[in-house]
Amino acid sequence: MNEPLQLSEDQCDCLQEIVNVAMGQAGDSLARLLGVFVTLSVPKIGILSPADVRRLVGQGCVSATRQAFQDGRGKDGLRGEALIVFGDSSFRELADLLDYDEDMEGAAEHELLLDISNVLNGACLTGIADQLGEELFYSAPSILGEGKRVAATLEQDRLQWERALSVQINYRLENRSFHCDLLLLMPDSAISLLAGKLDQQLEDL
Amino acid sequence: MARKQLRKALPASWEVDVSFATNGREGLQAIREGRGEVVFLDLTMPEMDGYEVLQKIREEGLKCFVIVISADIQPEAHTRVMKEGAAAFIKKPINGEKLMEVLRGYGLI
Repeated sequence: MNEPLQLSEDQCDCLQEIVNVAMGQAGDSLARLLGVFVTLSVPKIGILSPADVRRLVGQGCVSATRQAFQDGRGKDGLRGEALIVFGDSSFRELADLLDYDEDMEGAAEHELLLDISNVLNGACLTGIADQLGEELFYSAPSILGEGKRVAATLEQDRLQWERALSVQINYRLENRSFHCDLLLLMPDSAISLLAGKLDQQLEDL
Repeated sequence: MARKQLRKALPASWEVDVSFATNGREGLQAIREGRGEVVFLDLTMPEMDGYEVLQKIREEGLKCFVIVISADIQPEAHTRVMKEGAAAFIKKPINGEKLMEVLRGYGLI
């Protein structure tokens, strides 16, 4: 087992503010997509081990999507996979807002999850990259599990990561609840690279 | 981080005492103590968010000039804070030019 990799308090604070700005952009996109006012809260930043991630995801039934990102510099670059975990009740809330039918077809469900993932990942990752002066490229999002025990899927799935940078986002839709967790699964080398970039930002202040 | 960014964006020649608060509740307390003639208010904060702070300022009739600086770029957020009595709304990340423009516009510098 490697040395525990941690972000310093300053690095966390810096990343939190960067994510805050990125999430504001994502919140605006979500508000436009759903036609509601979105209340933002302060994102929580942390480094999680695979066991932590499984605990966070829990044993309940959730839906999740995955989307790979990279900066074009290969294996030493900034790269990873963005995982969004949705609770199933929030999924129902979203379907209501978008006037989806009660007996929604599987394909439409997929589309909804992928749409929301694209909006959140796109705004969040682009926002982070922009503020760090980087450019990121993405694969299309895909469904990791739907109404399933994602924890089990994560265990079976060969996701190439050692630790996850966890960015917990909580969007409250007015008069409704919607919650999702965005996890950036990154190899240690990419997290270290990110930490270095945060240090540069801090020095510039 | 957000506070340091703001400090950097403020004109160096501006001779004012600056107080920082780490959440809405602390900020409101500083305003009550008369340490907030001009207030730069974030909306997304722990303890008490910016909307609540604006509401308290109004309810308690506190005298201060509030400039909201927020990452919440929904047009509705802008409309709401202006209704709640904010003088201006500046999007994050802070654009120094925009901030100067607002301060100059209100004759604060």
